[in-house]
Amino acid sequence: MNAAGFAQASLLRPRIAVCVGSGGVGKTTVAAAFALEAARRGRRALVLTIDPARRLADALGVGALGNQPEALPREALAALGVPPEGNLSALMLDMKRTFDDLVERFADTPETRTRILQNPIYQHVSEALAGSIEYSAMEKVYELDAQRAYDLIVVDTPPSQHALDFLEAPQRLVEFLDSRIVHMLIHPAFAAGRLGFRLFQRGARRVLQILERISGIGFLEDVSEFLLAFEGMSEGFRQRASGVRALLLGRETAFVLVAGAGRDSIEQALALRERLAGFGASLTGVLVNRVRVWPGGGSPPDLSGAEGSLGALAAAFAAREGAGFPAQAAARAALDAAAGYAGFVRRDARETAALRGAVEKQGSYWGAIPELPGDVHDLAGLARIAGAIFGSQADSGREAPRAGEPHGRAAPA
Amino acid sequence: MTPLRPASLLERRLVIVTGKGGTGKTTVAAALAVAAAGAGRRVLLVEVGRDEQIPSRFAPGGPPAGYTGREVHPGITAMRIDPFEALGEYLALQLGVSAPVALVLRNRAFRQLMEAAPGWRELITLGKVWHLEQMRQSPGRARWDLIVVDAPATGHGVSFLSAPRVVVSALRAGPLRRHAAQVEALIEDPVRTALLPVSLAEELPVRETEQLILKVKSDVGISIDRVVVNAVLARPFPAGLDDLDERLRRLPEAAPLGALPAPGVLAACAAHLRARWELHEHWAKALAASIGLPCVRLPYLPEGVEGPASLARLGAALLGDTPAEAA
Repeated sequence: MNAAGFAQASLLRPRIAVCVGSGGVGKTTVAAAFALEAARRGRRALVLTIDPARRLADALGVGALGNQPEALPREALAALGVPPEGNLSALMLDMKRTFDDLVERFADTPETRTRILQNPIYQHVSEALAGSIEYSAMEKVYELDAQRAYDLIVVDTPPSQHALDFLEAPQRLVEFLDSRIVHMLIHPAFAAGRLGFRLFQRGARRVLQILERISGIGFLEDVSEFLLAFEGMSEGFRQRASGVRALLLGRETAFVLVAGAGRDSIEQALALRERLAGFGASLTGVLVNRVRVWPGGGSPPDLSGAEGSLGALAAAFAAREGAGFPAQAAARAALDAAAGYAGFVRRDARETAALRGAVEKQGSYWGAIPELPGDVHDLAGLARIAGAIFGSQADSGREAPRAGEPHGRAAPA
Repeated sequence: MTPLRPASLLERRLVIVTGKGGTGKTTVAAALAVAAAGAGRRVLLVEVGRDEQIPSRFAPGGPPAGYTGREVHPGITAMRIDPFEALGEYLALQLGVSAPVALVLRNRAFRQLMEAAPGWRELITLGKVWHLEQMRQSPGRARWDLIVVDAPATGHGVSFLSAPRVVVSALRAGPLRRHAAQVEALIEDPVRTALLPVSLAEELPVRETEQLILKVKSDVGISIDRVVVNAVLARPFPAGLDDLDERLRRLPEAAPLGALPAPGVLAACAAHLRARWELHEHWAKALAASIGLPCVRLPYLPEGVEGPASLARLGAALLGDTPAEAA
């Protein structure tokens, strides 16, 4: 697959592009760059983030992102080559509100709604339930996708301990609601006939009672109350969760794995790739962010024989800078810098080789995003990243790659 | 500001290492353990994540240490606290029997319920750390001189640390409140315990570290006496040649340089190193200025952090063998 094929498979064909990766690899930036590039190609694009640093809002030049999409100003987009039919919106997920909206939607009566929203277990669960942020993110994607107001929704996944928790979250919630312990707590009689259940019930009740005694919290009572209220809603939840899952694993969704060039990050990416495959999700491509590349591309030359040429460089310095300039020291420092940088380039190539080999063998796209000299903190910076990923023309801002550096192109497979 | 006393971290009983994902907090925790072991301490190195990462830092492919622990380096025992195992241990201690507890904990439905229940993991994990801190080899002699905890990434880190305080304020009485209060007392005791945040000299980790420190100051009473800035690039050119990349750019591109790359390529290499170094300098200084705490810089190791030798190098830098930057 080349860069054009990757753009087709990740920006133009799907309705949803999910950026996955471990924390600290620049996933949020890459997701925003994807959405911007889709807009530049005439699509109505939305980037959904959970970035708590609100940095995406800053980078996009919008004030604060709420739980509803906010469109970026037309003029700013036009300046970056977004045609009239394309646009770009951004949304920062408010997890608690997304969850509350769900309860509002599925509660059968206003009383149920109030009972759930005021239940202490719900208040804990909606904020702290393992995977609830992931569930909320996927729920929001489902809702927005159903509205068909966007051609492409780019999802920046939460920095959870396991980067694929969001894929499991809907199923886990349903499993929890369906679980025997939940039924047992709601209808103790339900399980009464079965010996295994009775044994378990005695054991579980005993432990829960101990927890209650130790904690002094009416844990069982609150849980039962919460689950009873939830029972009427669980069918709606269940359908919704399976809808979310089907959408994510369907043809409309492309997964892009973002990794850093360091060893830990590459190891995590390899593991993530396997888990994605285990879910049946199709991995469109892998992008390694902030890779140090040799100026002009290719492998760095062997500089071990270059000592003998230091005199020539010193002479060139002396000719250009005059007698007062420490030409010998400068020549030595220039060689040291080049040799040092060549070492960085080789190290990144070495660390990424295993992942690259696995990805290319599988036929997915492999791309390296060169490390920029500075941080990305505005739309122009996002445009440069997009240019590096998709090989499109980066704008000519003041931090554009300098002469001799690769022209912001992702190294094709 | 006076330089850091090199041993102050080693005088603690418990050092909790936290930081944004990708900052290298596991490496820093391991480096601190190596330095402490090198100073003759018996160190317990604890991780709390689902996947063990520490054993492979000492030997590639090293077997997991698990809940019972394993010596990964002379003087360093690694272990991973699994919250369910810790819960079982706690309940068994409370009840005085372990068989029925084990039965219930293995039950799938019970585990599902507990998977969904908030807060208890953090509390039970810290409770286990407290228990380990209390262990005595002989009367008056602790089993472990220093316990280093590789804590969850920031964000999750603060809720991890504030769990005991939340329980103490939520409960009026009972054994759990009493136990949580003991854990809180350990966490908030500046003589025994310190939090060691790890940052990188880049914008996002610096912002997150600033927020972490503010949040810790308001929500948790844990002592922070230094912050680690990890993987800081060294000055790329000797003093007096700060604009080397620009000088290289001014050379005629056709200058005959023999086996050396062309001036444009040399200039691009030098410019990249300089730009990244300036960025690191900027953010390391910005962090030191905004948090008002000493920042210890650990060098970026071009060859990567591989095994005990490089951990020892970082550990020495961590304890102040290289000059620390004052705020």
